[in-house]
Order: sequence, then C-alpha cells, then structure tokens
Amino acid sequence: MRYAARRVINLDHNATTPLDARVRSAMVDVLSREGLGNPSSTHALGRATRDLVEAARRAVAAAVDAEALGVTFVSGGTEADNLAIVGGARSLRARGLPCGVATTRLEHPAVAAAAAALEAEGVPVVWVPVDEQGTLSAEQLASLVRTHPEVGLVSIAAANHELGNVYPIEAIAAAVKAERGEVLVHCDAVQAFGKRPVSFGAWGVDLLSLSSHKIYGPAGVGALVHHTHTKLAPLSFGGSQERGRRVGTENWMAVHGFGVAATLAAEAAQGHAEQLRPWRDRIAEAVLDAGGRVHGAPGLGNTLNFGFEGAPGELMCMNFDLEGIALSTGAACSAGSLEPSKVILALGQPAERAAEAVRISMGRDTTEEDVQMLIERLPTIVGRVRKAHGTLENAP
Amino acid sequence: MRVVCAMSGGVDSSATASLLLEAGHEVIGMTMRLYDASEDERKGRGGTCCSPAEVDLARRVCAQIGIPHYVVDERERFQREVIDPFAREYAAGLTPNPCTRCNQHIKFQPLLQRAAAIGAEAMATGHYARNLFGEALLRGVDPRKDQSYFLFSMGRDALRKVWFPLGTWSKDDVRVYAEERNLPNFAAPDSQELCFVPGGNHGDVVQRRAKEMGLSTQALQPGNVVDTDGNVVGDHDGIHRVTVGQRRGFRTRTPERRYVLKVIPSSQTVVVGDVADTQTQRVEVGELQRLALEGESGEVRCTVQVRHKSVPAAATVRWSGKTATVDMDEPIRSASPGQAAVFYAADDRVLGGGWISRVEDRVNGSLEAQRAPQKV
Repeated sequence: MRYAARRVINLDHNATTPLDARVRSAMVDVLSREGLGNPSSTHALGRATRDLVEAARRAVAAAVDAEALGVTFVSGGTEADNLAIVGGARSLRARGLPCGVATTRLEHPAVAAAAAALEAEGVPVVWVPVDEQGTLSAEQLASLVRTHPEVGLVSIAAANHELGNVYPIEAIAAAVKAERGEVLVHCDAVQAFGKRPVSFGAWGVDLLSLSSHKIYGPAGVGALVHHTHTKLAPLSFGGSQERGRRVGTENWMAVHGFGVAATLAAEAAQGHAEQLRPWRDRIAEAVLDAGGRVHGAPGLGNTLNFGFEGAPGELMCMNFDLEGIALSTGAACSAGSLEPSKVILALGQPAERAAEAVRISMGRDTTEEDVQMLIERLPTIVGRVRKAHGTLENAP
Repeated sequence: MRVVCAMSGGVDSSATASLLLEAGHEVIGMTMRLYDASEDERKGRGGTCCSPAEVDLARRVCAQIGIPHYVVDERERFQREVIDPFAREYAAGLTPNPCTRCNQHIKFQPLLQRAAAIGAEAMATGHYARNLFGEALLRGVDPRKDQSYFLFSMGRDALRKVWFPLGTWSKDDVRVYAEERNLPNFAAPDSQELCFVPGGNHGDVVQRRAKEMGLSTQALQPGNVVDTDGNVVGDHDGIHRVTVGQRRGFRTRTPERRYVLKVIPSSQTVVVGDVADTQTQRVEVGELQRLALEGESGEVRCTVQVRHKSVPAAATVRWSGKTATVDMDEPIRSASPGQAAVFYAADDRVLGGGWISRVEDRVNGSLEAQRAPQKV
C-alpha cells in the first residue's frame, strides 16, 4: 500500500502552514512577471523589484504596527531570533553596555541555542524560572533585571511553540523598561503572529521576530522588526542590503508573498485561533477522559500539548501518521535523535514524561471531522502503545 | 498485513522492503540511529551501517518506493548493550562479538516493541537466514552470505515474529533485483568492518571508551609477548589490540609465524605459539540459547562454528541449564573466549549456541580458566 495519494489530516500547523491561495496567486504573478532585476540595482529592472520589496516591507510593518524602516527581512524565524539575540548582545557589548541575556528554558531552540552560543563567548546568560505550567510574570522579570545588572537583553516569546502558552509581553516590556530603560526586549512572535494580535508598537518591545511560513506564506523568509535606531551587529557580511543589518540580495519572490500573508494574518489575527478554541477544549477533554494529562496553561486556541503515561510520543506520532493524521512530538526529532522535549523538562517534568509529549496544532483548514477523527482514534492508539511499550520495559 | 522492515540503508534491507511491498504488504520502514557520526564520516569519508549517512539513505529508499519511514533513537541502548561490553571484554582479554550482541539486544526487541505499538503483525530484516514458520532458524541458502551465526541469540519469541525474506536469495540476485528497481545502493560494497569502528582500528575505540567508563586501563598498557615456555619473544601495544588465533597486533624478534594463544590481562602478557598450538578440541559456553534444543539438559551430535566464517566442525554438545561443553571430533582453530559458538543440525537448522567462556588450553590439554564475558 502506498501512502502518497491519501489525504492527510494536518494537525501540525505550528510546524508550518499550507500556502494561502491568495498568497500563491500573488507569488505566481511575480514569478511570471518580466522586467524585474536585482532590487539593489539602480536601473529600471532593479527599481521595479525594489518597489515590490518595499511594498512588502510596508505591509509587514503595518501588520504589526511598526515603521517600515524598522522591518529587516531575513530568511525566517530562526535567523530573526539569532540576529536579535546575538546581533543585539554583541552590539551592546561593543558599546561597553551590559550585554547579558535573560530568557527562559521554554524558548524555541533558535533563541535558546543563540543564548548558549553567546554564553560560550563569555556573555552572561540568566535563565528565568517558570512554574510547572510554564507561566511567568512581569514582576519576575522586573526583579530579575533589578538584581542582575549584567543583563542587557530580555527575550520572551509571545506564544510558546510547543505548549501554546501566551505571555503578557506588553506588561513584561513595561516592567523591564521601568527598571532600566536601556534593556532591549526581544519577543519571538513567530507562533503568535496570525493567531492573536501582535503589535510591536503597543507592546513596547525593541525586537520582534516573525516568520512567513507560519502564517500561510512561503518558507524561506521572515523579518526582524525593530526601531530604526536599534543597533544590531550583523551576522552576515557582504553588501549593504537591509541597511547593513542583513546583507545579501533579498529573496524578493518570497518577500512579496510574505507581505501579502502578513496583511492577511493581521486581518485574521482577531479570529481564527479563537474560533478553534472549542475544538482544542474538546480534544483536551478527550485526553483527560482517556487518562492523559495536558501540559502548559491554556493559551493559543489552536494548540494543545498532552501526554499519556507509558506511551512515548514518538510511538503515538507514528500511529497517528499511519492513520493519516499528522501531529508532532514537539521534541527536536531531526535525523532520529529524539531528545525529550526541553520545554516539558523546563516545566519540571522528568525525562520519561517529557518523552511522552504530543502536540496538536490546528489551522485554518482544520475541520470538525478532523478533530472528531483524532478523538475517535485516540483511545485505541493510546491503548496499543501502552501495551506494547510495557512489554519492552518489563522484558528481562 | 502491516509489516515493519528494519532498514539499515544497505542494499539488503532496501531489497527486503521492496520485496514485501511487491508481495502486497503494508510496509513501514524503520531505521535505528545507533551512534553519532564518526570522525571519518564528518570528514566525508562515508559511513557504515546505521550511521547518520545510512539513515538518510534508508529514508531515500523509502521515499522512492513510497512507504513511510521512521528513525528511532537507540543510541543509549547501543552504547549500553554493545559498545560498553565491547570495551569491557577487550579490556578483560576477551574477544567480543558485537554483531551478535547487537542482534540479541538491539535489532529485534526494540523494533518488535515498536512494531507492536504501531499495530504491525510482523517485522522483517535483510538477514541472509531462513525462518521456517516461526519455528526454526536455518542457514541462508547463499553459503557466502549466510548470517545465521549472528542470529542464534535472537530468541524464540523474536523468531515467531521476524521474517527473513532474503534467506532464499543469493546476494548476486539481490543486487540484480535492486538494480532492476533502481534502488540507490545496489552496488554498495558489503560492509566488513564494525559499524561503530569505521576504519577498523578498534583498539583506539576500546581505549577511549574504557577511559570514559572509568575502567582500569592498566590491562591496556603495552606488554610482553611470551612463548609457551614463558620466554619473552616480543612486545605489543595493548592486549585489546590482539585477537586470539590471529597474527596481528604484536611484534616478535624472530621470523616464525606466531599466533596469539591467549592473553593474560593481569600482567598484560600475550602468549603466542605456532599454528598447531592454536588448536583446541573442547570449549565451554555460557549464556546458552536453546533455540531448538529441548530440555534443561541433554546431548546432541551436531556441527559447531566458533566464528562467522569458520568451517563447521563435527562435535558433541552436552548442555545443562545455561552452559554447555562442546567436544569437537577433530581439533579446530580460532576458538576464542567471548566469541559465539553456534550449533547446527545437518539440515541447516540452528540448534542453539552460547558465548565461549573457556577454551581448552592448547598447550597443557586442560581447560584454561579464562574469565567469562561479563553478563550485560
């Protein structure tokens, strides 16, 4: 039996989202257009492409209440986070300012690994503790900034990629700035954007990461949003594109698609994740009924992280995959190295529990039938995995 | 039927998956990640079975034939059950057999468990051995490729659920089949070396791991090579770099061909002798696996192999509980503590086998008490 032709129920939208038809047609239009050149060229071909890039920049800026000149296009969320944290901290250090980084162990690897890389360079990194649901308060960060004068940059995601937890970024930024105005506040809004309102201006942060393929746009593009005066040490070297913050010819076809997707995301932000919440709650109820547990605090309406004791997430995901349902362990599972989820470990759970984490993340194309199918299959799969897994653990 | 195919990235398991698919089964490819990329592999010199490069190859094969593929992480178990005992046994002067250990502890149970967990009724591997209705393990029909020696320890439970579709195939036919289907690795050479020791220098691996494990590395120091009378005739760079029955890993001052007869870890001494001295007529085995031997104790006439490629020797096996004594009709060469002795019936059935714990002293004719491999 071959699987390729089967319709797959996609419950893994936090990993990536399908391309929106309107974005696709806008991109196809650009891909088929003649008379485009390198956007840095001064001739007519270059100017035509430059217009596309700048229109997209304005669209992204408008979508998050920022200035167009404060939008730097990068290759995606990872590069945006890297540039914010590494570029931000190195720039602070070069100017002799406190450059320590304060962040949580819940952050996406693009943040956590960037902080670890800085740590290896001798930059102090302070890990902000979270409670067993993964929540933290603005007061916590204020007191941390007060007691850690070496901290010059705070990084907290607006929504957690695995748990769906949302964080009071506006309050956090205000509390941090009230302590020390010069501390840079970075927010990874990759998961929040398109699912709830995201406002660079209203939140009062200094740096904001966005990704296109999480908002039904093309992969390979994202943005770091900042004030025009914010100084960042570049991580790439060459020309002077993006005002020297991120050099190299802009990926203008994708940038164009991102601009369209960002506008659509801002329009939809009030809505779609909230519309999904009743389904999320139904799945959570089914998980609890089947003897499972839910991780994290209720946050994004589209995301639910759960686990069943004695049922490794890896085996759960294989089973659902074979049933044509795509979901994720949330753990870093590249090339078969299955580490227990760092996010679940950060909640204080032991490694066995962390290895049981399963994440579902719904999207615009999710239907009630999809949810019903998941709920129907869940008890059988849990039972099968638990039974088989027990045999190995009890083997001599 | 839903079947999990264990895929190493090599041509044999790739052909196995394709054969099962063509037979109408719902095939699911599964590859174990067993250890991290080696130095060689990072330098782009290619990998061996279950290395990250081979994992990618397995994924490509599955994509090509259109089946799901999952990679499972068994690095910790592989370290615990295969690499660590390998280092420990070499450091104790034994000659470990990691491939059979891997088949015993890694290849079957962890994958069978996952197969059951995803509702698969069977699991298949690309081994050249035959499984008769889940009741008997037989040699593969290709005498050059027969891998039954490595499978004696798989256990009756696994035998009931594991298929070996290539048991009736010759390697040449498998290559032709793979080429016809354009499988990407049909011309890849057979791997001869240990997967986690690419380049073949196991001495360095043992030394490094023994140090990491906090084992005494005293036994791994250079020492003397002595003849059967105790005269010093040469020196060596560590007992873990020599293998009983072989002529490598040490230096002597005289031109005769000398073979390792035994190693004495406590004094880091290697005893050598001429080819006649390497012969033995009796071995004792422990951790007996009675795949087809019925009863707690008994006696059977059979043939015995003490190495993967050794000529089967006619013998009488007397077993009791977890141990057995093997009396060969004629003296044989190369029996080494730590290696497996596998018993075969005349109809190619694997009767059972065990791990050689003691080898009759070639010089004195008495059973030499070598320390048995530690149970892991």
